[in-house]
Amino acid sequence: MTPRPRVLIVDDEPDYLAIAARIAAKAGCSVVTAATAGKGLELAAKEKPSMILLDVGLPDLSGFETARRIRKLPALALTPIIFFTVRSELDMVAEGLKLGAAGYVLKPFDPDELQRRIKAAVFPA
Amino acid sequence: MKLPAAVCLTSDSGVRSFLERTLGGFRLKFRASAAELLKDPPEKGLVIIDSSLPDMSGHDLVSVLRGDKKTSALLLVLTGPGPHSPAAAALLFENGADEFFPFPPEASLFRARLLNLLARSGTRAAAAQNPAEYVFGSLKISPEARTAYVGGVRIKLTALEFDILLYFLQNQGRVVSRTVLLERVWRQGMEAGPRTVDKRIESLRSSLGPFGTKIRTVFGLGYIFRL
Repeated sequence: MTPRPRVLIVDDEPDYLAIAARIAAKAGCSVVTAATAGKGLELAAKEKPSMILLDVGLPDLSGFETARRIRKLPALALTPIIFFTVRSELDMVAEGLKLGAAGYVLKPFDPDELQRRIKAAVFPA
Repeated sequence: MKLPAAVCLTSDSGVRSFLERTLGGFRLKFRASAAELLKDPPEKGLVIIDSSLPDMSGHDLVSVLRGDKKTSALLLVLTGPGPHSPAAAALLFENGADEFFPFPPEASLFRARLLNLLARSGTRAAAAQNPAEYVFGSLKISPEARTAYVGGVRIKLTALEFDILLYFLQNQGRVVSRTVLLERVWRQGMEAGPRTVDKRIESLRSSLGPFGTKIRTVFGLGYIFRL
C-alpha cells in the first residue's frame, strides 16, 4: 500500500492547528504539527513532509522567514508551502507568494477550499 | 474610440480561450496566478478573476485587492464555479466583487455587462465597508441600528451576541475558531475563555430560532455559519 503523504502544519493557535490537522487527515494525509517556527523547522528537517501548511504570525519567527529557512534545506527546496494566515494586506500576500508559496489561504477559512488546496499540493495531477 | 482594457487572471486554457473569443476588441492582458498579478498589480480598470486560481481563491484575492488603498478602485469581476448559495454569493459582493458569473457565462450577456460596468465606472462610489442591512430569507440584520429580526419579530441579543452574529455574517462558510472570536469580538474586561464562547454561542443559537442551526460546531474547536 502506498504510504499516505505527510503534511506538516505549523500554527501557534491550537484550535486552527487542530482543525487544519483534521482537514489534512480527511484529505488522506498523515499529519505532524508544531506550534512554533523552531519546532516546525526541526520537524521539517526530520520528517521531510510532502507539504507544509504554515501560519505567518508565529511567536518566534515569521512564517515567511521560516519558509526561507525551509527552502535552504536541500530535501525541502521544492516542497509545496501553503501560507495559512489572517494577514490579508496586499503587500504581505505578495511577499508570501513571491517566496514561491503553492498557496495563500486567509483565515477564517473555507474548509472545502483548504482541503482542495492540500489535495492539489500532495496529489498533483 | 479607445478600446476597453482588462487584466484576466486565469491558469485555465478553457477560460482563457472563452475570454479571448468573447472579449474581441478589448485589450486583454493575461496573468496565470495571484502571485503574477500581485508582482505589479494594476491600480485602475477591470480585472477578471477566475475563482479557481492555482495559488489563491478568487474570493480571498478580491478581499485583498479591495482592502488595499492602491487597488481598491479596481473593477473586480469573478467567474468560476459556485458560490453554492445565495448567502455565499451575497458575501462575495459584500467582500468587494463587482460582478460574479458562473462559468461559462452566456457570451453576449457577459460582454454587455462588462461594457456597462466600465461605462459606469467613472461614477462608481467607493465600496461601502459594510452593507446597511443583511437580509437572508426571514432573517434581517442591521449593523448600524444593531437590530436583528426573524420573521419580522425583533430578537433580543446582548451587544456581544450581536457582534458574534455580525462576525459570522462577514465570514460565512468559513471556519472561525473560538480563539479568533475571543480576539476579534470580545472586548476587554469581559469574561473570556473557550467555555464562555460556547455558552454565548448556545444562547445566540437559541435566540436565532430557526436560524440557530446555521451555526454549526466544527470538531468542537470552532464554528461555521452557513446560510
